[in-house]
Amino acid sequence: MDLAFSLEIGIVAATAAILGSMLGLGGGVFLVPILTLFFGVDPKLAVGASAVAVVTNSIVGTTNHLRSRFTNPRLAMLLQIAAATGAIVGALYGVVADPRVIYGVFGAVLVYAAISMIVRPDRSAMPPSLDVPDRLELGAAFRDPAIGREVGYIPIRTGWGIGVGAGSGIISGMLGVGGGVVMVPTMNVLMGVPLKAAVGTSSFMIGITSVATVFVYYAGGKIDPSLVVPAVIGVFAGGQIGSRLTRRIRAQRLALLFSLILLYLGGSLLLRAFGITLPGQS
Amino acid sequence: MSARQAAPGVADAQQQEIAELAARTERLTPLYEAAGRVFAWGFRIGAAILAIGILVAVVKGEPLAHQADRITNVPARVLAGDSAGIIDLAILWFMGVPVVTVIVAAVDFWRLGDRRYALLTLVVLIILGVSIALALNR
Repeated sequence: MDLAFSLEIGIVAATAAILGSMLGLGGGVFLVPILTLFFGVDPKLAVGASAVAVVTNSIVGTTNHLRSRFTNPRLAMLLQIAAATGAIVGALYGVVADPRVIYGVFGAVLVYAAISMIVRPDRSAMPPSLDVPDRLELGAAFRDPAIGREVGYIPIRTGWGIGVGAGSGIISGMLGVGGGVVMVPTMNVLMGVPLKAAVGTSSFMIGITSVATVFVYYAGGKIDPSLVVPAVIGVFAGGQIGSRLTRRIRAQRLALLFSLILLYLGGSLLLRAFGITLPGQS
Repeated sequence: MSARQAAPGVADAQQQEIAELAARTERLTPLYEAAGRVFAWGFRIGAAILAIGILVAVVKGEPLAHQADRITNVPARVLAGDSAGIIDLAILWFMGVPVVTVIVAAVDFWRLGDRRYALLTLVVLIILGVSIALALNR
């Protein structure tokens, strides 16, 4: 693989990360489909490269969330048991699975993400849960700079959270995505965790979940440095650009356009699962 | 008139609860700071190793490998100045950062007297250990 191909992969990874960052979905959601559909990369190698990039992005992103106390370490560790176990199971299956299964599951996840982007509720309006029993001592508080005061919350429905965490881990392990697309809304809407705390806790979890995934792909010989290196650099650079663009552009206004891109990629993967390749794809 | 205005006692109780939750979160400050340091320095050192690996590959004119080497082979390749070995080390370094963070979290939960979450974090570490064992036995 030559320098030109590595540069192409780096640019694709950066673009994927810009799109993912602006939508809060992470780079892997776009990176794996683009690599497989347009560059003809083996989906398992694409998943391995994406998972490594997700870990490095989580390392960078979580530092700020820890400083702001948005991360809830107790909640993260409780959910992580299910998520990491799910990731190992998902990765063990993903390494040996028929690529058509990966195409099909990934396509379904992308179509779900696209539809949920179009119809999702205003999550910032979800009130944090308080005045509930806190038997697991998961309650926490952080200072929200947007409103200039402390926000406290006690997570509820932890059993559901653990269940969804396991499912999110399986998807993460199979597809090399972080799982934030599932965990953030789950924590926010289902468990009553404020959005900033949900994002901060999810970001912390994503790195650990993806590490569980990467070691399994490493064991399966599915870590290709010629893909991983440009993916890591591209996703890091794209994530930085994306977070700056998000502050300048109202990403919500672009949500419809991005969701159409997700629908196209998801639909293409579903068709690929049935052996149909659209024009312009490899 | 809102429910909160009608019941100032409820608002006071909520403020007190939030203050207690904030104090509980603040007690975890050593954990937050230690984990933050692991992430920050872990990324910097990993990025430096990766940059050295790429530089060595460019200088020697070596293409990037298509498959990461066995973990047990990496140290010898790094010592031999092999670019592929150095890049594999960078990848493994990045993978190690979250694992070290989990260890740090377990130790800090224990030090802070939070035995329940120290043990839960230990369970997470054991699960990651299973994944690492798979990679080592490749």
